[in-house]
Amino acid sequence: MMSTSYDKCVRCGSCVKFCPLFNAVGEEQYSPRGKTYLLQVMDQIEDDPELAKEFRQLLFQCTLCGRCSEVCSSDVDLLKVWHEQRAKAVQMAPEEFEYLDALRDALANVANIYGLDPEDRAIYWLDELEDDIPGLEDRVYEKGKTADTMVFLGCLMSFRGSQMDVLRSLFTMLEEVGEDYLVMGAEENCCGHPLYLMGDEKGAEDLRKHNRSVIENAQAKKVVTCCPGCLIQLREHHNLKNAEALHHTQYFDQKMETTPKYNQTKELAYHDPCELHRILGIKTEPRSLLKKLGVEYREMEASCCGGGGLLRMTDPGLSDIIIQARSAKEKLRDTVVVTACPSCREQLLASENRTKDIIELLADASEGGAE
Amino acid sequence: MKLRDIAIGANASMYYRLNFKKIRGVYYPRTETDVLAAIAFARDNGYDVTPKGGGSGLSGACTGGDTDRIMMSSLQMTEMLAISKDIGYVDVQPGLTPDEINAVLEPMGMKLFVAPSSRDIATVGGILSTDGGGNDTWVNGTMRDNTIKVRMVTYDGRKLTVSHEGVKSDDPDLEAELTKKGMTIHDVASSHGTLGFITELKLVIRPVVGETLVGSLAEFPDYDTLGQAVDGMIKRESPIRYGETIVMAHPDVREGFNPPLLILQYPEEYESELKEFVDIKRLDTDEFERLKDIRIKLPKRNPMEGVQFALFEGYGFHEESLRNMQHTLDEIDTLLKSHDLVPFGKYGHAPSKWYLGDNTAAYGIIMHSREIRPEGKTGTELLQTVLDIVEKCDSLGVTPKPEHKWPFDDEAKSSRLNELREVIGPGFNSFILDEACDDVLSSMV
Repeated sequence: MMSTSYDKCVRCGSCVKFCPLFNAVGEEQYSPRGKTYLLQVMDQIEDDPELAKEFRQLLFQCTLCGRCSEVCSSDVDLLKVWHEQRAKAVQMAPEEFEYLDALRDALANVANIYGLDPEDRAIYWLDELEDDIPGLEDRVYEKGKTADTMVFLGCLMSFRGSQMDVLRSLFTMLEEVGEDYLVMGAEENCCGHPLYLMGDEKGAEDLRKHNRSVIENAQAKKVVTCCPGCLIQLREHHNLKNAEALHHTQYFDQKMETTPKYNQTKELAYHDPCELHRILGIKTEPRSLLKKLGVEYREMEASCCGGGGLLRMTDPGLSDIIIQARSAKEKLRDTVVVTACPSCREQLLASENRTKDIIELLADASEGGAE
Repeated sequence: MKLRDIAIGANASMYYRLNFKKIRGVYYPRTETDVLAAIAFARDNGYDVTPKGGGSGLSGACTGGDTDRIMMSSLQMTEMLAISKDIGYVDVQPGLTPDEINAVLEPMGMKLFVAPSSRDIATVGGILSTDGGGNDTWVNGTMRDNTIKVRMVTYDGRKLTVSHEGVKSDDPDLEAELTKKGMTIHDVASSHGTLGFITELKLVIRPVVGETLVGSLAEFPDYDTLGQAVDGMIKRESPIRYGETIVMAHPDVREGFNPPLLILQYPEEYESELKEFVDIKRLDTDEFERLKDIRIKLPKRNPMEGVQFALFEGYGFHEESLRNMQHTLDEIDTLLKSHDLVPFGKYGHAPSKWYLGDNTAAYGIIMHSREIRPEGKTGTELLQTVLDIVEKCDSLGVTPKPEHKWPFDDEAKSSRLNELREVIGPGFNSFILDEACDDVLSSMV
């Protein structure tokens, strides 16, 4: 009886050419088959400390986009294999991952990835948006407040100025549909996704506990987030008893049977965030919203932007190559890339692509159709 | 040693436990100049050269055995160099797959008609080196039938262009000697990288003809009836555009179907004639696509308990062994069971075409086989099973590994390769033609 799922890999190679890392580097060790093969022959090489070290590094040269799992016909849960192997790598040689300590320390000390004061979670965007969204300050959660819906912004959207337009659109639309909502604000911990991606389940759970209690105390029935990574944690790992975790595209698609038409003046392309469509299986709602908005768009290849799996931290050079190659291959220069993930947005903006979240299109349409 | 020196060994065959210390260099050339530089390094150091494509083959040829060698992958040679829709060819580097080529050709209404089930990863250079084909080989031929010419580099750095008509070289003496030997594309086909490194191929492309095709399923009570039905199609030259058989399948992956069966696609107007000698049931598009999907995934799926593996890639049933398929298969199954192997799946192309070692064409069923990987068997024991199968195939009139014309067991092919290597020189994938090949392979199981 085989004990590990990577033993089931028949090394057929169907995953090789789908892998963004393989396409970026062009060498077999970066491909899912190459890595699985290395596991299958590990008994032949593990005595060599340099090779073992190189392998541990290689495990973090992956976007965890899940495309390999999707194409595998041999029932190998490759995503699970990569998660398990990452955890094992960090456990075996923590000194090799000291570059992740700053992130770990930040999450342990101030519960956000930037190491900023937790109170600042609701400072930057509140300063920027309170004139546009009257009463927004009252929407920030404090002990004793309750609401039907809790908005979980996540670290990127809480702290990054590049996300401000998405936030503005999100709040505009929540007001538009008359939702009874609160934003977790300073009471929001990181969802734990970065720690989950490095195999630190305990650290991730420590962060989740607080979120869980805040959501329960607020008596929220729904938790809405724009971030697919946060949604993985909220839906699959937070063990929320009374609240349903939703992506914002799901929420608004359910809430709005029809929408105003979007005044489209530019070519649009839709990029499916890997964690949203492949890992969470949310494919129809973003497209349903786009259809309601009446926009014409082309589907992009269901491939990674290069920003997943902590790759931006573990190997930013490779991450850049992936998005640059995609930009060239899919001719994105004259296109606005529509997506629904703050991490993909950062990646697209960093490579000088134009991008809009679906919620921005929705808000633009609701405000009169101006692009 | 680095991980790139190890990961290059990844391949779909059961020969995957390489002696990595013998790999003296790994190269991913992008151009012919890069190829020449890598070969020069090997030559200067007395190393062999092992070409590798997608690594989806099951012969173990791309491992290079255990000689001191460099491994040269074509996976970064992926340029489409020229397309001529009017004349009907495409010039490509060897690392492109049929899927990649056809993705470019499709909008033009053109296609490369070579469709192995591994067409998403198998490279055209690799497919020619094994003379692979697919479910439409019966209609469209094997890779050699779809290759106009190839450009390749020999161990001493000379360049050859080999076509169906003959050979040309930048070295007039070499050209004269190889011309005297009658070298053609038939020699490169199935050469398993023993002659040189392919740097460019000119491939046949043809328009996609808009004919109305229909799909159907034929189920058979036994293997003889299946074999005779396929024999009938061959005799009548039936216009089967897609023909696949599932001879047997493990219950875990059978999905409600009851092999032996044939999945067929043909022009609608041919259906009445086909019905005269095969009991077929028309399938709608969804049913047909579902059956195709079941078939194409069989080489990759696993049973609920255990793991499948490819002990021996294929059997070419033709003539008597096709008409008496029940007896032939019973003999093979008895042999497998006597070696404690549990059959997992038997499936393949039907009707199909392949070439024998002397380059004559054969027609019949190319049946692939998978077994459940046995626990506790040594590499030597498993390799011995393979050799016993080869012997059994010879006695039954079955071509062993027909798509890949295993040179290590095909005397006509191996003696021809040796004859050419006397002119071209050794240095490429030598283990295949070495007497110790069997021992080397068994050490890697």
